[in-house]
Amino acid sequence: MAVQLDLDDIQGLFARGYGGHRYARFIVFAVREVAAGRALLEWLLPQITTAAPFSGEAAVNVAFSAAGLRRLGLPDSVIAGFSAEFIEGMATASRSRFLGDVGESAPRCWAWGGPQQPPVDGLILLYAADPGILERRGAELVRRLTELGISETTELRTREHGDTEPFGFHDGISQPVIAGLPKAAQAGRTVPAGEFILGYPNARGQLTDRPLLPSSDDPGRLLLPDPAGSGAVDLGRNGSYLVLRQLEQDVDGFWRFLGRAARRPDGTEDPGQRTALAAKMVGRWPGGAPLINAPEQDNPALRDDNGFTYHGDPLGLACPIGAHIRRANPRDSLAPGPAAALDTTDLHRLLRRARSYGPAEDGGHGTGLYFICLAGNLGRQFEFVQHTWLDNLTFDGRYEETDPLTGSRRPAGGTFTVPARPVRHRYRGLPRFVRTRGGAYFFLPGVSALRYLTQRPDPGGKHAGN
Amino acid sequence: MPHQLGVTIRAPVAAKQVAPLRDWLAKAARSGQADPLFAFGRMHGLHFAKLFVLAETADPGGEPIAASLMLMTEVDAPLRPHLAELIDVGGAGIERALGFCEGYPGPGAHRRTRIAWLRRHLVRASAVYVNTVGRGLQQIRQEAHLHDALENYLDQGDWDGRAADDVRRELRAQVAGRADLAWAMKPPAPPSLRFRLREAIHAVAVPLAVWALLPALVLVLPVWAVLLRWDERRDRPLTQRPTLPHLGELASYEDFVTQNPFAVVGFVKPGLLRLVTIRVVMSAIDYAVRHVYNHASLAGITTIHFARWVPLDGWRRMTFASSYDGAVEAYNDDFIDQVWWGLNAAFGNGVGYPPTRWLFWGGARYEQQFKNTLRIHQVPVPVWYSAYPALSAVNIENNAQIRAGLRGDASPAEAEQWLSLL
Repeated sequence: MAVQLDLDDIQGLFARGYGGHRYARFIVFAVREVAAGRALLEWLLPQITTAAPFSGEAAVNVAFSAAGLRRLGLPDSVIAGFSAEFIEGMATASRSRFLGDVGESAPRCWAWGGPQQPPVDGLILLYAADPGILERRGAELVRRLTELGISETTELRTREHGDTEPFGFHDGISQPVIAGLPKAAQAGRTVPAGEFILGYPNARGQLTDRPLLPSSDDPGRLLLPDPAGSGAVDLGRNGSYLVLRQLEQDVDGFWRFLGRAARRPDGTEDPGQRTALAAKMVGRWPGGAPLINAPEQDNPALRDDNGFTYHGDPLGLACPIGAHIRRANPRDSLAPGPAAALDTTDLHRLLRRARSYGPAEDGGHGTGLYFICLAGNLGRQFEFVQHTWLDNLTFDGRYEETDPLTGSRRPAGGTFTVPARPVRHRYRGLPRFVRTRGGAYFFLPGVSALRYLTQRPDPGGKHAGN
Repeated sequence: MPHQLGVTIRAPVAAKQVAPLRDWLAKAARSGQADPLFAFGRMHGLHFAKLFVLAETADPGGEPIAASLMLMTEVDAPLRPHLAELIDVGGAGIERALGFCEGYPGPGAHRRTRIAWLRRHLVRASAVYVNTVGRGLQQIRQEAHLHDALENYLDQGDWDGRAADDVRRELRAQVAGRADLAWAMKPPAPPSLRFRLREAIHAVAVPLAVWALLPALVLVLPVWAVLLRWDERRDRPLTQRPTLPHLGELASYEDFVTQNPFAVVGFVKPGLLRLVTIRVVMSAIDYAVRHVYNHASLAGITTIHFARWVPLDGWRRMTFASSYDGAVEAYNDDFIDQVWWGLNAAFGNGVGYPPTRWLFWGGARYEQQFKNTLRIHQVPVPVWYSAYPALSAVNIENNAQIRAGLRGDASPAEAEQWLSLL
């Protein structure tokens, strides 16, 4: 079971969220010519931060969309080895319906990444320990892009990274612990690395589909061999799919709704009740304590508590069945029973790497989250969690209820049920609090694969950009 | 209450009519719901309906098989008035679709001629799974109305501090006193006596027959197992992935409402061994879904409303079709994790299926190969109808329990448990 991870070949975002590097900027760019794309990649390569132990003042990772990989000269026959979700992209009509990107969240309303908008070929993630370094490295990067004639599709500026998301809740507490990384030694339950990076056994003990090339396509021997022993070389090895979504949060609307919903019988506001109802929606108190272990009030001692399960609360009396964290990670609460449910849930974990943004001084981009997660299988992980758990109207026996915090809404608004004795409390007319404002699927290649992309033989030279 | 039928009508489509039929069906699909062009909503006891095309193909021996139109309905018994309604109520949509089929008499012909044509094109399923046998459309709709009415009533009151049995008493009085709800105080009627007798006889007769054959089976089984294992080692599983256009077409008909349609078709591996195997397996599935998995769960899976297995072309091909809750990814995962053995026993006899061992093992456990193979064999269902698009199978079962809990006395603990259904 001891899997040896090739940390020097894996980009750092897999191993860490760069929490100590509290300043970050994400640059989405479009490549017009192969040569420029390769030149950019060559310039970036020595700067790439890997998953090996790291203590630099700034970190850089880079990822490409399917369109971007084509721009770098990969032929369709190679692209076809990536997953269908990645190749099709996030903004197809069927996928938008599936992900709940409808109404104001539809790609046609997006700030970037939608149809008729500048192409999304690549993404550079830049993290820095202080704002000065971020400014300097960011300016350097933009200068290099300009020199190469690469256009910036959008620049996503984050707010200083803390442990609280814009609605005011302590966030980022629950993450899967990956077998093979240092943290796994102290953890009770781990998830196989192959769930998040390609080329390693996944939770079913199998290798997830990945792009393989005949070894003749790699005369420089830059790529690693297919671990399945097919004799092919593995362009996917040590790489991950990366989901980026700009999720705008209506913070005022959220608390306004709660204020109204939690009024006293005489009509006056009840701040205590308002917070309690918010906690029911989230499944944790603003301070972080989970309702399962702190059902009545916040408990600062439990702010990072993640060692809980739901089978002791089958009706959701402590933590509502529809609460955000119970939907996003139902732990042991789904059919057929606690032990098997934990195994099933492991098939649908996300490695989250979000950063918050806003409010901007100019009021431009609003407030929200740049939701980022890594996955080895977009369909079974990110899309499953989004559709089958978060945005599912009938999740675990619910009736016409989506996630109270992030869900899409019917025209009449959303519903949220708080189980109680003797009778549940049902809240109706929930507006949509989180809107999708942009997004794309990327691939975060391993370092060898990045190097291969800069040097891939280009038969016929027709992609050489001249 | 009536029992439920899985009706399959299949008719050949002339080669030159296939493309126009496909185009027309694609246009007739309106956001995943076929109404009102097909008037499915006006047919009595109709739960779900599907219309799709099986493309022209050739069997593994090279014998050509013509394209055909499949019309599948899940409907409350009896069959005769349903066939009549397909013609009399079905509207322009059904008439037009059937008009693409070879030999359909057309709207000019007498209705009895057209109904007789439908009857001649009925295909028998080898097994039909019904989430809960005997729960008719009217009952599902009535109990959904009961649920909504009780929820709305609860919304209007302040119940904090009241005793659970006191609340239950008030709700019972409310139901009993309302003309639109009073029916709920009585249990739903069971299916017809004739149906129940038939099922009871089948439930006993099949094990008796197996018992009688046991000495012979003991001799045959080891031989069969060895032959099967030998055959499995010669299998050629598919390693391809589905194409993007195919995936795109499938996805364009999925995820509009709570349920989705599902249909796969594939060839049975040639040879007597596989033919015997699949026929025995199908008999076992038929027995299991009629007498074991006949209430709210198919071997632990609670998201399937209806499913059926239909042999085609003299058992050279099999179709599996269902209406299920949620997304196809989740549906496949449920099968892989919970009933892989059943899946392998049935689909393992299909050409291209991931490699099985001793019929039951392997197969679906090769997750991606299994999902890819299934998607490749999946047939787009452009026209689909659901009579209750917002209700999951779990919702429907919960509604039935709410009704059941209205009857008789309840202890405070029982009343509390019952209120948690709301």
